[in-house]
Amino acid sequence: MLDVRELTKSYDGVPAVADLTFTVAEHEFVCIVGSSGCGKTTMLRCLSGLVAPTSGEVTLDGTPIDGPPPDMAYVFQDYSRSLLPWMTVAGNVAFPLPYKGLSKADAAAATAEALDAVGLGDRGDAYPWQLSGGMQQRVAIARALAYQPRILLMDEPFASVDAQTRADLEDLLLDIWRRYRITILFVTHDIDEAVYLSQRVLVLHRPAHVHEVVEIDLPADRDQLTTKRLPEFGELRTRVLSSLRAPDPAGVTP
Amino acid sequence: MIRARLADAALALALPVLLLAAYDGWARTAGNFFFPPLSEIGATFAAEWLFTRVPTDLLPSVGRMLAGYALAVAIGVALGTLLGLSRTLSRALDPVLQFLRALPPPALIPVSLLVFGAGDGAKVFLIVLGAVWPVLLNTVDGVRGVDATALDMARSYRVPAHARLTRLILPAALPRILAGARTALAIAIILMVVSELVGADNGVGYTVQLAQRGFDIPEMWAGTVLLGLLGFGCNAIFVAVERRVLHWHLAVTGRATHARRP
Repeated sequence: MLDVRELTKSYDGVPAVADLTFTVAEHEFVCIVGSSGCGKTTMLRCLSGLVAPTSGEVTLDGTPIDGPPPDMAYVFQDYSRSLLPWMTVAGNVAFPLPYKGLSKADAAAATAEALDAVGLGDRGDAYPWQLSGGMQQRVAIARALAYQPRILLMDEPFASVDAQTRADLEDLLLDIWRRYRITILFVTHDIDEAVYLSQRVLVLHRPAHVHEVVEIDLPADRDQLTTKRLPEFGELRTRVLSSLRAPDPAGVTP
Repeated sequence: MIRARLADAALALALPVLLLAAYDGWARTAGNFFFPPLSEIGATFAAEWLFTRVPTDLLPSVGRMLAGYALAVAIGVALGTLLGLSRTLSRALDPVLQFLRALPPPALIPVSLLVFGAGDGAKVFLIVLGAVWPVLLNTVDGVRGVDATALDMARSYRVPAHARLTRLILPAALPRILAGARTALAIAIILMVVSELVGADNGVGYTVQLAQRGFDIPEMWAGTVLLGLLGFGCNAIFVAVERRVLHWHLAVTGRATHARRP
C-alpha cells in the first residue's frame, strides 16, 4: 500500500534520511523505532508529503506522493500544538472535513462517530485546554478518524502522557485499528510500545534507514498484562533493543 | 460572589472619589480662576455636552476617530498579514515602513492640510497614519508566530490556503492583533484631538482650544473631562469585546478574569 523506495532527505548536504526503503501492506500495523534524532520525524514529513524528498520516491497505492494525500492522516506528537485552542473539541475534529467535500450534516455525523470511538462523545462542546493531556491526544486521534483515512501516520503520539494513560491509549488504538481496518505506521522510541502494538517493527539507524525488520509474531489479541508477560514478548523486545544498539557495518555510517 | 464584586467596585471607586473631593475642597477655598470648583465644571458640562454640542462637536470628532481607527485596523491587519506571510515582501517594504513609522504624525499636519484640505480627510489621514503602526507590527509578529505544528496539521489535512489563513493563521494571531488594536485606539483618540487643533471648525479638541483662548475656563475643563470619559469608555468597550473574543486565549494563558476566587 505504502511504498518507500530509496528515500533520501538532506539538509545542507547532511542526510537526515538516507536510502530508506520499506513497504507497508494494507491493514498492517507497522512500528518504527529509532533513537532520538535519527531522522524519524523528517522521514514522516516526507511520507506525508509535507516536505519533498531530496531523492527517492514514496507511493501510496502506486500514486507518487508529492503533497499530502487525501487518504492519509497524520497524528502529531504535540497535541497541545496541533489542536486549535479557539475551537471546541468537535470544532477541531470537524476542522478538515468541509475541505474534503463533506456536507455539514455528514461532517457532524463523522465528528460524532469519531468522538464516540475515542470515548469523548460527551465532550464535543469542551475546549481542548479543558481536557487532560491523554484526552487531548484522543481528540487528535478522533480528528484523524473523522477524516476517514486509509493510512494513519503517527509521530510518537503517546510520548508526552503518563504511563497509565499511555497504556489506555495503546489499547484504544489497537481497537480502532481492528474496527476501522486502517493501516497504521507508528513511530515511537519506546520498544515495549512498538512490540506491543505492531505486527512488524522496523529498526532505524541514523541517518534514517532500515537496519533490521523484526516480525512480531505475537497473538493478535493483545493485552497489557498477559501479552507483556509472554516469554516471546521479552525475546522480541530484546531483539529490537539489540538491533537498535547494533553497530552499523563499516562504510555505511556517514 | 456579588458581595465580593461590590467590594471590588467600591475599592476601584474610592481613589477617584477621594481625588475629586480633594480637588473640589481645594478649588472652593483657593478661588483660582483657572481651577473652578467641580460644581461649576459640572454645570457647564451638563449645559454644553448634554446634549447641545453632541451633534455639532462630539459626533464629528468620534466619527472621524472611528473612521480613522477602522481604516488603520483594516490596513494594519491586511498589510501586516501580507508582510507576516512573505519574508520577501517584508524585506522589500521594510525601509519605507521604517521611514514612515519614524515620522511623528503631528509633523504631517501641514502636508495633510495641503493635500486633503481643512475638511475631515486630513484629520482621518492623520489618525490612520498614527494608529496603523501598532496594528501592523503586531499583526506581522502574530502571523509569523503561528505554530509550525498547527500549520503542518492543516496542510496534512489538505486544508486550502485561504481557509488556513482565515481559520488558523488569523485566529492564532488575534491576541497580538488585538493588543496592537488596543494601543492604536489610544493613539487614535490622541490624534483625534491633535488633528482638531489646527485647521478645524468643529470637534471636542477644537472646542477645548477655543474655550481656553476665550478664557472660558469651565468650558475648557468640561471638554477635557469629556475627552477623558471618551478615552475611558472606548477602552472599556474594547476590553469587554476582547474578553469575549479571546476567552480561549485568556484561559490558555491563565489570565482568565472569571477565574474562581480562592
